[in-house]
Amino acid sequence: MNGPLYSIEFKGACIRFNDSFSLLDIDWTLEQGEVWAIVGASESGKSALAAALAGAGEISSGTLTGVDSNAVCVSLESQAALIERERLRDDSDITNEVCEGTPVREMLDEVSLDPVLLTQLIDLFRLGPLLERGFRKLSTGETRKVLLTRALSCKPSMLIIDGPFEGLDANTVPLINGVLQQVSHHIPMVLVVNRFDELPEFVTHIALLEKGRLKVTAKTSDQQAMDLLSQLFHLKTSDIKIPAAIAAEAPPTLNNDEPLVRLRDASIRYTDNLVFEHLDWQIEPAQHWQLTGPNGSGKTCLLNLITGDHPQCYSNDVFVCGYQRGNGESIWDIKQHIGYLSSELQWAYRVSISCKNVIISGFYDSIGLYTKATGLQQEVAEKWLQLLGMQNRAGQPFDQCSYGDQRLLLIARAMVKHPHLLILDEPCFGLDDMNRQLVLALIEKICAGSETTIIYVNHHAQDQIAGIEHYLSLDN
Amino acid sequence: MANYFNSIPLREQLAQLGKCEFMDLSEFTDGVNYLLGKKLVIIGCGAQGLNQGLNLRDSGLDVSYALRETAISEQRQSWKNATENGFKVGTPEELIPAADVVLNLTPDKQHSRVVAATVPLMKQDSCLAYSHGFNIVEEGMQVREDITVIMVAPKCPGTEVREEYKRGFGVPTLIAVHEDNDPRGEGLAIAKAYAAGTGGHKAGVLMSSFIAEVKSDLMGEQTILCGMLQSGSLLCFDKMVEQGVEPGYAAKLVQIGWETITEALKHGGITNMMDRLSNPAKIRAWELSEEMKDILRPLYHKHMDDIMAGDFSSGMMADWDDDDAKLLGWRKETGETAFEKAQNTDQDIPEQEYFDHGILMVAMVKAGVELAYETMTSAGIKAESAYYESLHETPLIANTIARKKLYEMNRIISDTAEYGCYLYNHACLPMLADFMTGIDTDVIGRGMKLDNDGVDNQRLIEANAAIRSHPVETIGETLRGYMSAMKKID
Repeated sequence: MNGPLYSIEFKGACIRFNDSFSLLDIDWTLEQGEVWAIVGASESGKSALAAALAGAGEISSGTLTGVDSNAVCVSLESQAALIERERLRDDSDITNEVCEGTPVREMLDEVSLDPVLLTQLIDLFRLGPLLERGFRKLSTGETRKVLLTRALSCKPSMLIIDGPFEGLDANTVPLINGVLQQVSHHIPMVLVVNRFDELPEFVTHIALLEKGRLKVTAKTSDQQAMDLLSQLFHLKTSDIKIPAAIAAEAPPTLNNDEPLVRLRDASIRYTDNLVFEHLDWQIEPAQHWQLTGPNGSGKTCLLNLITGDHPQCYSNDVFVCGYQRGNGESIWDIKQHIGYLSSELQWAYRVSISCKNVIISGFYDSIGLYTKATGLQQEVAEKWLQLLGMQNRAGQPFDQCSYGDQRLLLIARAMVKHPHLLILDEPCFGLDDMNRQLVLALIEKICAGSETTIIYVNHHAQDQIAGIEHYLSLDN
Repeated sequence: MANYFNSIPLREQLAQLGKCEFMDLSEFTDGVNYLLGKKLVIIGCGAQGLNQGLNLRDSGLDVSYALRETAISEQRQSWKNATENGFKVGTPEELIPAADVVLNLTPDKQHSRVVAATVPLMKQDSCLAYSHGFNIVEEGMQVREDITVIMVAPKCPGTEVREEYKRGFGVPTLIAVHEDNDPRGEGLAIAKAYAAGTGGHKAGVLMSSFIAEVKSDLMGEQTILCGMLQSGSLLCFDKMVEQGVEPGYAAKLVQIGWETITEALKHGGITNMMDRLSNPAKIRAWELSEEMKDILRPLYHKHMDDIMAGDFSSGMMADWDDDDAKLLGWRKETGETAFEKAQNTDQDIPEQEYFDHGILMVAMVKAGVELAYETMTSAGIKAESAYYESLHETPLIANTIARKKLYEMNRIISDTAEYGCYLYNHACLPMLADFMTGIDTDVIGRGMKLDNDGVDNQRLIEANAAIRSHPVETIGETLRGYMSAMKKID
């Protein structure tokens, strides 16, 4: 194996920082030959994790081994600290003399352990003309180069760079990139990267952080995982809100004094099988519900009574979105108010159609698209694709999408018209960890950005959605 | 009762046979309104009965099922179908007198008995609807004068009628009003609302006549749809096994092959199906199909002539009276063929291989579709009818073979289709015997395996021109356009 020898291991580590931020339950191993990049939204704790590698923070539980006090972290914080030091050194207020501040040469000499290496680095970064200049007078990019030179010339046991390309102009990026690649052969290196598209090629592993937890790790050589991670990163970090409804095409308004759904003494029975009986359920507008129950307890049957997909909705006392069922309303009158997703729907969605039209089909509650979409519908669908990080795939056939991407598109389809009721029947069913993260990230966006009432079915305790306060549990 | 078609003058026969026009979607803007609040009672709860009922109810209509007393008391399958789907169920005596529209969705064979028993229970000025006109046209059933008689015939199996509806679409549907029974002139309005209730209006509705529907339907089902696929399955399988192709492979190539190659037919007609072949294979398939068309043309003519003359239905009805002796014997024979008994290989066959190794099957589909279409249109049936009853339905039947071979096909199709299919098969096998001696595995089973795919330009131009200029391609492009204008927006 190539690369510098090192090994760092987090085992269930919870690490507290003085700004009361905590990293939680981190399980993570970094080893020889690996160059990691930490990614995550702001506040996700990626800088904290980087700092922990350099020994910062206080371990409150779990263990962290292999951290060397000689590790150096280059970050905006370390940059700010130096600038602050310079500000304090500046006594021109008192002396009334213009103070140039500490010259660059001094800044470098004070930490350098290897004059030969330092000279090489000065050449490499073309710092020669700047050596006599005051540190504070440097541009952002120049400051960055000085910081890197400082970090490298002190022969650190590990180099942690938080935002390696922050503030660098386009010409400087390849230069720094090349240097870091060289260095990565000799010094263990971890980068904190803010944009997925600026991931250097020599990075071998990615760690995605969210709310202080390590959510996903992936090898950069696994293209599929990288695509998903990039999409997930996009969903988690982009500011794009879920696209608004089209006012002119919104479902008819409902009387807010009435419940959205009311089932009275509902039952589903077959000749030789009773699924459930005597079930009462009332859902008021803006009441989010979670529905649980073991396999076969009738969760999907129950939801289908609401959507109208279960034929026994006509032999039950069912009130949905303004309609007492079985009084001459059509199933499309019901469906216009409801967005729906389940794995059954995904299996049923076997038509030749593009990704974009899958989303548009949500305006018509159809599987496939049988009407010419309006310009506005096209626009909204394109915005959804953008949100999903799939804007380049509008025309791609739906059946060529991965299972997880299909699920995302179908959630967008369910939500595109901003229905009064959104039913998500096991939205994470059959998905691997990464795709689950993606789907949950999307659902969170939806919850945050709409007035829609949600019914959510799931099995996994860890797949919680914030904001659900009502629970219905079916048992066998 | 006498054959209705034979009882009317030639002038009328021609007018009725030639009736078939594609209705514009704008004619359905009223949707199901004409039937809202009216009572619809369905007789028969098989695949068509149940699935049409589900659609009609989901469209807001009041649907219930009239089942025989014994079906209810013994909780038979039809009773289960209706009650488990939350429908109101009752005996004819309970439900029919209140019905505004009675939908007769029983098998053809039961029509005479069912209609005779039902009509006396029906209230004054109500409506009787069929999904197939055999009883009216071939058996000459005469219905009470105050009753409106219409037909709404979805051109797909019942399960597909339901699936397409649930998607928000429908299946192409043929409607007709029996001119002898339209006392208030409301037949068309009822038929349109009924078609809209099944979702058919979204996929295209053809306004036709009872006679055109029956004659074209019989012709299509017994020749290309079931007959050709049955005969072709047996011939192709036997030939491959005789030439040393592994039987499991041969069985799968045939069983799944029909579905795969006719999927191409569904999307782009015979032209597209042929385009899936390499140029040399296409020319070969074209030549084979021309040869088969010359051999089989008299058979297609005979089927059409017998249908028009009423000989086919009288022969079949005689078998009904003989407790289906012939039908059941033939069904048994089919079950014992080597193809039917062969175990399919588990080996995966790539989609393209079904074309490359099934050149003869492609040629058979082409020959059968074109012959059926040519024969029907030359007998006075309109191009639209002829298209639906030949090319359009072939993939649907191929799909049933893909499920459970010929057994499933013969189980799913109507008795009239099954009976006609056997007639065709018995005539077709000996007619193609000579032709088959000249067939080798290059066109069925192993592919042409040429060192190069070069062809003569003139020959290719000739083949392409012949394929593309056939009238079934012209009308097909138009009719598929109606569907695809809505369906394929990408």
